[in-house]
Amino acid sequence: MSKRLVTEAGTFALMAAVPLFVGGNAYGMGLLTLVTIYAIALIGLDVTVGYLGQINLGQAAFMALGAYASGLAVTGLGWSMAPALLAAVLVGLIAGAFLALPALRLEGPQFALATLSFASLVVILLNELESVTNGAQGLSLVRPLLFGLKLTPAGFYWTCLGLLALLWMGMRNLLSSHWGRSFEALRDSPIATDAVGVSVYGRKVAAFALGSSLGALAGGLYAFDFQYLQPDGFRYDQMVILLLGVVLGGRKSLWGAFLGAVLIVLLPNLLSSRPVFEAIAAIGFLASLVAAGRRWREEGGLPFQAIAPVVATGLMVLGGFLVQSLEDWRKAVFALILFAVVVGLPEGVMGYVGRTLVRLFGGRRRPLPPPAALDAVLPFQENHGAVPLAVSGLSCRFGGLIALAGLDLEVRSGEIHGLIGPNGSGKSTAINVISGLYPAASGVVRLDGRVLPGGSLTRAARAGIARTFQNLQLFLELTALENIMVALRHVYRLPLPLIMAGLGRREEATARSEALALLTLVGLGDYAGVKAADLPYGTQRFLEIARALACRPRLLILDEPAAGLSSPDIKVLIGIMERIRERRIPVILIEHHMDIVAELCDRVTVLDGGKVIATGTPAEIQNHPDVIRAYLGTIAGERAGGSETGAQPC
Amino acid sequence: MKTVTVMVLAGALVGSIAFDAQAADTFKLAITGPFSGGSAPMGGSMRDGAKLAVAQINEQGGFEVGGHKMKVELIERDDEAKNERGALIAQELASLEGLSAVIGSVNTGVVLAGDKFLQEKKIVKIITPAAGSASMTQWVNPPAQDLYIFRFAAADGIQSAMVVEEAGRLKFTKVAVLHDATNYGVSGRDDLTRRILAEGKMTIVATDKFNIGDKDMSAQLLRAKAAGAEAVLIWGIGPELAAVANDMAKIGFKVPLIGGWTLSMSNFIDNAGKNGDGAMMPQTFIEEPVTKAATAFIESYHKAYGVSRIPSPVSAAQGYDSVLLLAAAVKQAGSTDSTKIRDALEDLREPVAGVIATWKKPYAKWDAAHPETHEAFRRENVIMGMINGGHVGFANPDDRARLGNR
Amino acid sequence: MQWMIIGQMAVSGAAMGFVYALVAYGFQMTYATSKSINFGQGELVMVSAFISLSVADMGLPYGVVVPVGLLSGALLGLFVERVAVRFALVQKTEGWILMTIIVGLFAVSAAENIWGKDERPFPTPISREALDIGGGISVTPVELSVALGVILVMVLVEIFRRWTLLGKAVDAVSADRDAAELMGISATNAIAISYALSGAVAALAGILVAPITSVGPTMASALILKAFSVAVVAGLQSGSGVALVGISLGVLESLASFYLGSGWRETPGLVLLILALALKPNGIFGTATIRKV
Repeated sequence: MSKRLVTEAGTFALMAAVPLFVGGNAYGMGLLTLVTIYAIALIGLDVTVGYLGQINLGQAAFMALGAYASGLAVTGLGWSMAPALLAAVLVGLIAGAFLALPALRLEGPQFALATLSFASLVVILLNELESVTNGAQGLSLVRPLLFGLKLTPAGFYWTCLGLLALLWMGMRNLLSSHWGRSFEALRDSPIATDAVGVSVYGRKVAAFALGSSLGALAGGLYAFDFQYLQPDGFRYDQMVILLLGVVLGGRKSLWGAFLGAVLIVLLPNLLSSRPVFEAIAAIGFLASLVAAGRRWREEGGLPFQAIAPVVATGLMVLGGFLVQSLEDWRKAVFALILFAVVVGLPEGVMGYVGRTLVRLFGGRRRPLPPPAALDAVLPFQENHGAVPLAVSGLSCRFGGLIALAGLDLEVRSGEIHGLIGPNGSGKSTAINVISGLYPAASGVVRLDGRVLPGGSLTRAARAGIARTFQNLQLFLELTALENIMVALRHVYRLPLPLIMAGLGRREEATARSEALALLTLVGLGDYAGVKAADLPYGTQRFLEIARALACRPRLLILDEPAAGLSSPDIKVLIGIMERIRERRIPVILIEHHMDIVAELCDRVTVLDGGKVIATGTPAEIQNHPDVIRAYLGTIAGERAGGSETGAQPC
Repeated sequence: MKTVTVMVLAGALVGSIAFDAQAADTFKLAITGPFSGGSAPMGGSMRDGAKLAVAQINEQGGFEVGGHKMKVELIERDDEAKNERGALIAQELASLEGLSAVIGSVNTGVVLAGDKFLQEKKIVKIITPAAGSASMTQWVNPPAQDLYIFRFAAADGIQSAMVVEEAGRLKFTKVAVLHDATNYGVSGRDDLTRRILAEGKMTIVATDKFNIGDKDMSAQLLRAKAAGAEAVLIWGIGPELAAVANDMAKIGFKVPLIGGWTLSMSNFIDNAGKNGDGAMMPQTFIEEPVTKAATAFIESYHKAYGVSRIPSPVSAAQGYDSVLLLAAAVKQAGSTDSTKIRDALEDLREPVAGVIATWKKPYAKWDAAHPETHEAFRRENVIMGMINGGHVGFANPDDRARLGNR
Repeated sequence: MQWMIIGQMAVSGAAMGFVYALVAYGFQMTYATSKSINFGQGELVMVSAFISLSVADMGLPYGVVVPVGLLSGALLGLFVERVAVRFALVQKTEGWILMTIIVGLFAVSAAENIWGKDERPFPTPISREALDIGGGISVTPVELSVALGVILVMVLVEIFRRWTLLGKAVDAVSADRDAAELMGISATNAIAISYALSGAVAALAGILVAPITSVGPTMASALILKAFSVAVVAGLQSGSGVALVGISLGVLESLASFYLGSGWRETPGLVLLILALALKPNGIFGTATIRKV
């Protein structure tokens, strides 16, 4: 058993044992039950706030929906606890997906506003549908039976704790699977995530719906805990408190969500007690003084981050002496504590604890499996008879500017096809349209004879087009191995519930060995555990190629893979290309280094002004009069300009 | 760091739970209510009124119980008008060792969320100034045995009856009902509607609501005006009531405003200014020195809290009197045992001279079929107040004479 | 009668709309330079109003109250920027969201303890007596003053941007922070200035609105969500679009309140808002950007 599992099991066992000692104390039980309920809600909220990196103010509304769904199931339909909670989860899932459809096209403040508006709408509905919800007068209910049992406060607490433990394991399984990885990936580079065929939008919607259903489940438990509901309890205050919980506890962490719940439930309530307040103030003040002192020693100066917590906690200590009625200032004290924590520990309590633990004990690294056989990972491409890629009459406009004017292009089986042309000739636009990033104004793209749906990176990727990017689009926070694992779509077949149940381990092992095989193919076998951000530049380019290969492409598009590479790296690149050619994968290669084009390409197409001006073998092209004309006078500029050109679509 | 946090929190938890095992010669009393946020003027005044009574008792060394003096020890909890917090506070109070009684609550929702925990633990609670009907009717159906919850406020049932009666007295036949969207407002609407239908003398031509924080009431008022309402019967709290009064003046809708006791809150009077003149509301206490007790109370309140006017005189006076009632009950019971206090409250043998009235047997043994057994206020304790020149006075001069003679 | 009512509703709604717009304008100012928003803007409105009220209570004339109020708003804006925003911007995190919320929480609690929990009237020389502007539709001069204030602020800010060096610097940082810094403009200072301006606008909103809404610790909590909606729907970068969107929202709410019932007052606005976001994520007056790779 790993250390992590021991800690978790120990904590849950400890929490489960509490009622044996204070079972008779309604307050202790009430607080603990509420902690577990909020922990469930925060784990759900962390999916959007932590993993998707969006400010979600809607969780309070999902709690409200869940609370009323199960409350009404009990009062109106006479259901017992289990089906009522299931109803809450379903309502959360459906409403979550419903909100996600418009909202997840948005980011930042717009997303926050969309969720906020939804939350306001929910409260209005609950208030106004008086005949159903009893409106502002509130819904009183009696805690229903669970499988025929009447629960004592301790029994209900154990039920909540058990659910939390189950969800904890489920989320742990999910987040360590390809789902969790794709959440990280889509934050680092949504475009690349789409381009490996993992739909960012789809994943976001699924993640949001899942997080919302947890909020609704928490809401159901909340209803059975308090046995009285009012729409007012789920207004703006509640939204902010939930958000605070996630951030204070630490994002992207189950422990963080749990600690966040502990903080937001216990702090406001315990601050009523003067000794507790004084203890917190004194300890906080000392801790921030120590931290500031250390900063002073190490950096010779005191940044804001060190001073602010000292001032905030100092104010608390001072207030302890001056203020008569603490209860009047309780909210201000709460704000000061929050302020000190958010400034002092910007990654939340768990972020800090996690880093300290890693520093003390070192990170865990799972041993690597042996790499899979390359033939299994990247089989030789059969010729289906049809031409792998046939483009006809493709055009694309940006406003008044015509970037592509009726492009025709054919890539034959197993060939490396060069695509060259002066700046602004439409090379990048061409591959961006083929790979689905931009919609085409007209024209048809056929892959293996089948018409490719346009305008969607994901759909093009799923049809078999894989690409790299001129400006690298790696998942910088993931390791090299994980970067590739994100793209190994064909390995992952299990549906989400089974993954949450912990059945995804086999797939995961397969993916690891396949990814390792691909890393070895591009010569990165030794870098498997290194974060992509920490790789040298050339190596990053090779990693991107390996990731594209992981999609098992029917056509591979490489956008200036040699840009910025040193000459030894260029030799490695040529080696990689040869190995790709051996697998008979058709390739479109955009490249400015003419020697590479000459060495690698079977045929070359030259673009100018959005049209093909020549097609042929490298040798034919070099002597083509139109090509010479198009390049004359720009060749010098091209070399001097280096590789940043062609980035603009227009 | 983590261990420290956990230890602090665990220690805090244990500390706050095992808060006391102190000497038995104090009477431990908790005051809860919203001391912050929009309902704070009511909660705060109630608390300050109660604290005034406690301070006066303690200054004299406590009250006599079984031959020795007993002091009052106070615990304050701000429920922020939030149900969740109210329920947790009720749980906390229910777990506090040696706590004998609780007074407070402004918001009916908080009462509904929390009181069941106190009842379960058999702790006496006097609800004041929350007036919503549901606070007591929740114990009627299903009928509670052995109730520990009392109310010391004019229930909405009484108030709405008086409002309707006043409208009838002024010969109105068409009225509009306006209310805020909280539990208080909605249940006030239901009480009013029921009453008007029962009397059958007038018709409700418009019913509409407003949210807490709304400032623009023209839509609601225009509807009422267009429907030809001759009076606006209203259930809400100060700031929104003021917005209604101001908008009535703005759109030239000059009809009387009659509503719950909250129309006497200073934040209504101040913010409505002269637009508030003429508003009428049932009152249990009016900040006018009509009796000696009232004069003394008003003066000492002003002095103790450095104000020239009580934010919510009704809440303050009720808070004050409810402490006196409890003290009398403890005295009679000769014990701080909650059950004995309850029994004493249900059968107070000696009259208690409060600022609102001299209370003679305000409560009786609980009978779920007659919830008024645990209601202190009868129709005759309540008078109709009217705002005139920024002050609440008597709407009916007879009342003034009646109280002055007492 | 019917038209009179619609007209009256539109006028009353527009008056609220101007208030939304004024607060929303404060949001846009800081977003332009720093891509951050003060979620405690409502508390800024409230604290500035309380400070102005205290000044007025000292018996000083309105001509002193207003400048002192504006100055305190600007200083509070600087304070928020220094305490809650700068640090997060340096770290390139979105910590400012929570930090500004937390500062707001503190401000409410502090205000309750300093100035009391009650709502209080705000003295103003502007009349609150309704004026009939024809057809039985009435409006009060204090409402008109809000509208005038919005227009005045927009004109003044536009002049500041176009005709003063400091304004041009702020504008440059809004347009392209990196380029502006290369030209020797301190983005940090420009952001601080934008927060000070935004604080002054909030204070102005407080002074103009307080006679209508009264002054209390929670006076702006309902306002702020509306203003946020207006700012985002108009486009956080757009500038003057807020006035139009603010008025439309105010009128829409007012009419919805009349025809659907007051409980549904906000519903059409919220539904339209979600739709507007889904269709025009960068705001009605914002511009879309092309994805580049």
